[in-house]
Amino acid sequence: MQIRHSAVARGRVLAGTLLAPLLLLAVSNVSLAAPYIPNSDATPLTQLSTKLGPSAQMTTRTTPSNRTLRALLARDPKNVDLAVRIAQLYVSRSRTESDPRLLGQAQAALGAWWSQPEPPVAVLLLRAIIRQTNHDFIHARRDLEQAVAREPRNAQAWLTLATVQQVTGDLKSAAESCARLAPLAPALISTTCIANVNGAQGLANDAFDALSRVLAESATDRSTTPGVKTWVLTLQAELAERLSRMADAERLYRASLAIDPSDAYTIAAFSDFLIDAGRAAEVLPLIPATTPTDILLLRRAIAAKAVSAPDSAMLVDLMGQRFAASRARGDRVHLREEARFALSLKNAPDEALELARANWAVQKEPLDARIGLEAALAAKRPDAAREIVAWVDSTKLQGNKLAQLTTLARSP
Amino acid sequence: MMRRCLKRMLARARTLLNLMPLVVMAAMLVHAPLASAHKASDSFLALQTNGSKISGQWDISLRDLDLVLELDRDGDSVINWGEVRTREADIDTYARAGLDLKTGQSICPWEVTDHLIDNHTDGAYVVLKLAAVCPTAITALTVDYKLLFEVDAQHRGLLKLENPSEEGAVRTMTAVFPAENAVQTFNVSAGGGSPILAKLAQLGTYVADGIKHIAIGFDHILFLVALLLPAVLVRTKDDRTGEARWMPVADMHTAFITVLKIVTAFTIAHSITLSLAALDIVRLPSRLVESLIAVSVFATALDNLWPFLPKKRWLVAFSFGLIHGFGFASVLADLNLPNSSLLLSLLGFNIGVEVGQLVLVAILIPLAYLSRTTRAYPRIALQAGSVAIAAVSLGWLLERSLNLQLMPF
Repeated sequence: MQIRHSAVARGRVLAGTLLAPLLLLAVSNVSLAAPYIPNSDATPLTQLSTKLGPSAQMTTRTTPSNRTLRALLARDPKNVDLAVRIAQLYVSRSRTESDPRLLGQAQAALGAWWSQPEPPVAVLLLRAIIRQTNHDFIHARRDLEQAVAREPRNAQAWLTLATVQQVTGDLKSAAESCARLAPLAPALISTTCIANVNGAQGLANDAFDALSRVLAESATDRSTTPGVKTWVLTLQAELAERLSRMADAERLYRASLAIDPSDAYTIAAFSDFLIDAGRAAEVLPLIPATTPTDILLLRRAIAAKAVSAPDSAMLVDLMGQRFAASRARGDRVHLREEARFALSLKNAPDEALELARANWAVQKEPLDARIGLEAALAAKRPDAAREIVAWVDSTKLQGNKLAQLTTLARSP
Repeated sequence: MMRRCLKRMLARARTLLNLMPLVVMAAMLVHAPLASAHKASDSFLALQTNGSKISGQWDISLRDLDLVLELDRDGDSVINWGEVRTREADIDTYARAGLDLKTGQSICPWEVTDHLIDNHTDGAYVVLKLAAVCPTAITALTVDYKLLFEVDAQHRGLLKLENPSEEGAVRTMTAVFPAENAVQTFNVSAGGGSPILAKLAQLGTYVADGIKHIAIGFDHILFLVALLLPAVLVRTKDDRTGEARWMPVADMHTAFITVLKIVTAFTIAHSITLSLAALDIVRLPSRLVESLIAVSVFATALDNLWPFLPKKRWLVAFSFGLIHGFGFASVLADLNLPNSSLLLSLLGFNIGVEVGQLVLVAILIPLAYLSRTTRAYPRIALQAGSVAIAAVSLGWLLERSLNLQLMPF
């Protein structure tokens, strides 16, 4: 029986191995051949911009081309207004297009001020955003504290600060920052700020209701752009999930995706929801195997494995290559995803635990707690998750899955 | 009333305007910790040094080059081969400004020898084939990397540097060049790299040396031949005449056991003395050793004609094997090995000697076994062969002990 089982497994692995190069070829357009000289001048080699979602289309429609802006900045590199404008454009595009290259370009546009201890506040804000995206939360927070000290009425600085505080687990400070934001921003934004904090400390129900109310009130408000609405609806969906209101969660995820079907964060969160619900097959039409976005490729690979899709082995391989490429350049930004990759796809619980613990030292969101607990349990080292269990206890973080995991981690 | 209302509306409008970037960023920010995607900008530089020369290949993303050189001339957001091919000179100029190679203080000017295209996971890259010549042999290579940082502050250069190590193996170093650490120096001559691979390659060369030594070492070959020729025969007394006679062995099994004993004894013996000499525990003058080797060959051949040595052939093989081991050691010493790899070389060389020896046995013994029943075998192969071997070894003995140059080999 044992032998037959392993023979079947080996057969599957073999099929995967044989299939992988072919699929890889189809998926990433990688030539298996060595470097080559194209046949004709007309041979297309590379696409410069990806398809944009509605929010990105909005920004690109109203702004001059990148090329024009770059040329202007090259002529006048000390023009802070121009540099900030370019950097803002790149940062928001990097979000909508899920392209980290644009963050590096934003940083380069701010090059004249980047190393200054006290640059203009607009530069401080952008520097903080770029730093926090690279998970340099300590310096990001320092920049933002300086920004709100210099401009206490800067709503954007308070909101960004609240986010950094929340991501790193300083919920008390995050709540204070949201309170400082309240008189400075539209109700929808300040309510979402505080709902996010409350939702992480046992008040998911109140937060959910607050969001429902403010969404109804702000429906006609000018500040309710598609980008903001997506943000709010997705948060509400996550709160519903935490409250085990699964039908509400699904409805809200779908509503959010109806506004911006290309929002990577929402697609990822909804995919996790579906995988948890045992509906992994529904993830496949949501995320193409060709997705350029790592966080989505991870979900696709997990879902493919769950339903034994034919491209499963190839996707795992591809995902492994992406992490290897990121490690080769010295990045440690994807620890959470890499931990999940190690646990769910590589079947390497010890490695997953190591990554999850390194991740927990940097960020403390519900997903970070979850992967930390799962990895510790899989590695049969529940003691390694003691800190996370204490965290869940003290914050009263809700969620069925988390409750199950903490119970398991607590039992000897 | 009217004015106050208007003023409030205006104030509200201004707040909203201020919040326009906030709106997008707020959403981005909250999501950002997850939003890691596509690929950050890297170039891949592979260099190989060899003496004063450097060759290599540099893969640079077309997307990145477009930021600087505006390759997409027709503005259709697609870069085609024509848009690259016609701009090769500009690409080269930009790339040359982005990389300086130096050994010590001297610049190693480099050139692009070819342009190709390769597809990476994040799109097409131009592949520049590089060649450089330094004014002196490269000992420490300094790489000053400054490509693309002015347009992408998070760009990095990923270097893979290969150079031949002292032991002839290739050693590989890798390095990352971010803007904050754009000048790095690599010691090109010192050891390092992948130690296991280098050691294996080293071991391989010693094994080859050992095989070669047996193949061209006629004294060892002749000794083994003299020792093994009688292995397919057995010496008996003729019942009628009382004279000693060579009779073929009855079966393969008997011959095999005899050969196995002889070869094993020889191997153990020469391994002992080879180790003792190589580790410098026992040292004998090479002239004495070489002469004694000649004596051993002579004595063994003579014993085939007029027996005077012990009847147990493996004992002969062992005793003389001790002398041959010292001979192997002098060869090993001539190879001028670094002390660090002495044990490795000893192991490799000895394996090589055994392999060479086994090849000889594998050729000789089946032939001897098949022809053992012919009348020619004891007479021609054994007796005439032994006479010839004795003659040659006598020549060696004279030559070596008297330090003359008599023999052609």
